[in-house]
Amino acid sequence: MVLSISSRRLMKELKEIETKGTPPGIQLLKADDMETWIFLISVLGDETVYKGETFALKLKFEPGYPIDYPQVTFLSDDQYQPPLHPHVYSNGHICASILGSEWSPVLTALSICITIQSMLASCKKKERPPGNDRYVRSAPLNPKLTRWAYEDDTV
Amino acid sequence: MKVTILSYNSVAAWKWDTSTEPHKLCDYATNGDTDDYDDDDDECGICRLAYESCCPACKIPGDDCPLIWGECKHVFHMHCLLKWIDTESSKQQCPLDRRPWGKVDDWCFDCLR
Repeated sequence: MVLSISSRRLMKELKEIETKGTPPGIQLLKADDMETWIFLISVLGDETVYKGETFALKLKFEPGYPIDYPQVTFLSDDQYQPPLHPHVYSNGHICASILGSEWSPVLTALSICITIQSMLASCKKKERPPGNDRYVRSAPLNPKLTRWAYEDDTV
Repeated sequence: MKVTILSYNSVAAWKWDTSTEPHKLCDYATNGDTDDYDDDDDECGICRLAYESCCPACKIPGDDCPLIWGECKHVFHMHCLLKWIDTESSKQQCPLDRRPWGKVDDWCFDCLR
């Protein structure tokens, strides 16, 4: 069997997660195939507005990974809800520059999780992005089809 | 005791030289000293395969699947880097430091002369 480029890269990443583990607050929940992985993300410590909350981050890899970035969304189902954050829409879509114009093929599934975790950690006020309802009504399923404008790097 | 060698099998290994500083490259050329090398950085940051293996698109390692150096001294499999640079989203930047990608061909050879 000839493995695709993305599968080979993901198998290496998976092996590294299995041998070296994940950073505190990040846990691999599901990686049954080389297409969709789910990580659990929480912010540790007392200084966070998300104390005690756990979120599920879904990464969907396309054949062009890692030249192309994956589809990254927070799960929104019976068990998990997206965090209330000024860059996270209620449908789970995330506005983050590394998931768009600032993507680099040296980034990994784990480094995406770490970036998202630190985005949550620096949040001071739980609120939805302006225009959340309007966006969610018309948003495509795939967040990569949305043209994002990155306005604020501080949260 | 007199020993006559009837036959022998020679074995050789090779490794891309990915040192980033010219003086180290000279050390390596003269002493074959690899102790100072950082072995953690012996894989291509894009495909995460060893420099000595080929990129995921190739089958045979070696000259047909070479490495490429940027002006920023970062090293990748050439095929991996070109796939990235050919995309619009790369903005022609190095994947590691986002500096404009410029190819360096000659400095390492100059040092060895």
